Amino acid sequence: MRVRAEAMFVGGPVAWLAVAVWLSAGLAAWAQPVPGTQGGAGALGLRAREKVPPAKIQEIYRKVLADWSAGETERAPNELIELESAVVLDADAATRKVLLKEEQAVIHQVGAADLEVLVPIAVLHHEAYRRLLERGFHGHALAMIHTRTMARDLAILYHDQSGSEGASLVSSRLLTSLGGLLQQSAQQLPAAEMFQQAVELDSKNVAALLGLATIFEKNAQTESAVKHLRRVLEVEPGNVEGRLRLAMNLRRQPDHGPEAAKLLTDLTAVTEPSWAMPLAFQELGRLYSDEGKTAEAEKVLRQGLKRYPNDLRLHVQLAAVLDRRGAPGEATALVEKALTLPMGEEASARFLYNTVRQDAFAAARTFLAENSRSRLPVLAQALGAPPPAAGTGVGK
Amino acid sequence: MSPKSLKRSLFPALAGLLLAAAVQAQVAVRILSPEAGQPVFGSTDVRVGVQAGVPIDRVEVFVNGKLAGTCKQPPYHVQVDVGEENVKREFKAVAYTPTGGSGADSVLTQPVTINDQMDLKLRALFVSVTRDGLRALNLGKDDFEVRDNGVPQEVVTFGRDELPLTAVLLLDTSESMSKRQEAVRRGAKAFLDGMKSSDEAMMALFSDRLLRFTPFTSDKKALETAIASTQAAGGTAVNDFLYMSLKLLDARQGQRVVVLFSDGSDVHSVLPASDVLWKSRAGQALVYWIQLGGKHESFTSSFRDFKANDKEYEELEKTVKESGGRVLTIERLEDLEDAFRNVLKELREQYAVGYYPNNAKGDGKWHKLDVRVKGGGRARTREGYADY
Repeated sequence: MRVRAEAMFVGGPVAWLAVAVWLSAGLAAWAQPVPGTQGGAGALGLRAREKVPPAKIQEIYRKVLADWSAGETERAPNELIELESAVVLDADAATRKVLLKEEQAVIHQVGAADLEVLVPIAVLHHEAYRRLLERGFHGHALAMIHTRTMARDLAILYHDQSGSEGASLVSSRLLTSLGGLLQQSAQQLPAAEMFQQAVELDSKNVAALLGLATIFEKNAQTESAVKHLRRVLEVEPGNVEGRLRLAMNLRRQPDHGPEAAKLLTDLTAVTEPSWAMPLAFQELGRLYSDEGKTAEAEKVLRQGLKRYPNDLRLHVQLAAVLDRRGAPGEATALVEKALTLPMGEEASARFLYNTVRQDAFAAARTFLAENSRSRLPVLAQALGAPPPAAGTGVGK
Repeated sequence: MSPKSLKRSLFPALAGLLLAAAVQAQVAVRILSPEAGQPVFGSTDVRVGVQAGVPIDRVEVFVNGKLAGTCKQPPYHVQVDVGEENVKREFKAVAYTPTGGSGADSVLTQPVTINDQMDLKLRALFVSVTRDGLRALNLGKDDFEVRDNGVPQEVVTFGRDELPLTAVLLLDTSESMSKRQEAVRRGAKAFLDGMKSSDEAMMALFSDRLLRFTPFTSDKKALETAIASTQAAGGTAVNDFLYMSLKLLDARQGQRVVVLFSDGSDVHSVLPASDVLWKSRAGQALVYWIQLGGKHESFTSSFRDFKANDKEYEELEKTVKESGGRVLTIERLEDLEDAFRNVLKELREQYAVGYYPNNAKGDGKWHKLDVRVKGGGRARTREGYADY
């Protein structure tokens, strides 16, 4: 296998700008302990700022890969975090190059045997990144960026080298999942880049298209959002979230009200259960109210309440419409009834709409885990390590 | 006996009677406060006006038939604690001359009818008056001039710190407030501690959803418990829950107020701020908004872009100001208790000025209000109302 070093680990100018930002943020906290340890050494016995010789880095990295290939799904990502956090220091960007060089050397060696090993290695880095995000990353920003970039670049490399449709699917989903993690940690620009790359690898990747559209939507770039949402509906015409978001974005553009109204009206007839459905009624009611069509608003909100009798917002919204229509008594009764509804336990549909729902990436992650698991024996063989025990899995 | 002699013989006796009647008639007594029909609670200043052609020996004040106090010097007034019971009370004042002549007046005050149908035509304005930067607290009904769309109105009810308070404490309990929960609890407690037994409040803790609420109650412990037992979660939907609060206050009586604590960055409401503004204009409640930090920062969300969110914020501010309330900005969480206390103090120091609009049409049109204080001073009250 020929590993394209120029493609790997270089990143675009945006990535390096992000590195600079992270660096400045990380300088103040560079003396943090290695994540997952109690301020001292972890399972590998490494300490932060410990000078690890290059040969030792390679040795440990191989051990981590071996553990991963043996199905040590809990231990291996933690070991990788320990290694990378010990070697890469936020205060010294050159330390990342040291780690990169040694990890790359190991990947050259194992990848030469079989290109497929890149999948589980990429997924291992993805999992390490996910855990770092979950635990907080103060003082280890550069190590985080490193492991995320490794995951991304290995995925792209796998796609480029393999050229198969299957490789495109795997790589695209890994980038999609990374995009979801980035989006969750409010890193909109890198998330958008990740989704964009995922879509380039697989133009029918609905999760990535939706992810990209939501970023455009949140940043008031409704035209771009609409463009990507139309592509979602080309792939999956019945996608409820896609239809809802398209309607919402069309509403924000001049002269697209009728199309938005039609989309929302069609949605209200959908019987498929979805978190997004109450929103279709709310937004159609809103659209009518904004246009001064309070009779239509009242009608659609009453229909919504019939379908979703526990939706507090539909009660409040209908009350507001009735107030305006000169029926304050019924409006008061609706508000009082709203107070008797079950409350507080679940996030509202409106909150879910404006939030990065990780369940949107669940399918991509399951797909990744399955593909990684099936390639673990290949990785074990390439490392000369024992194959994984039956029934072990990877990734979340 | 001739008619003439009859006249003569009767004269002295008739003259005596007429003199006595004249003396009696000269003692004209009028209770100036409280006013008939108004609710009265707690410490009450009974002010009595006496006009007499002879010296007055004393003025006795009775509450429900019991002597409550005596005053010998003008201005005649007696401070009486009538208690907090929401009942009718009869106030009677009797002025005596040294020769045994007397005059009397009495008024009947009424209880506040809670949950009963209210007289929608009566507009109650709550007016804060400052003179030379200080609150003016000794004004009388005649010191106020009310103009409704420029038309002078007759003030028919008047008082200060007399109407019971009906408050909704609307507290933002979104995820971003999780570290501020304890300070919010202390702030709300400061407000509750200042409530009288006749006051009532509803606690509503919200995020993108309603996390907890209490019914309107005077039970301070129940109100405090609601805050203490609520976990912050979710986003923010000020408009939806402010609208709900105003709507619930429609059916209440007394001095109605919403005290909102939130940064006002409404991401998740389905109702636009214009609906809240409309509701506020159609109602009579005051809205106070306690903000931490104060400086609004533009933001974008899946529902609205920067410009639309800025507009929402401006309309929310407008709602508060138009209602006669205020935006109180605090820089530190430690100031939250004082902010809540200040709101309550301000409410207590407001004059309740009631009038029946003589130009009401019920057409939903905007009526601009202008309240002036004779003798100078700055009067702040709601800017107007929608005539529904």
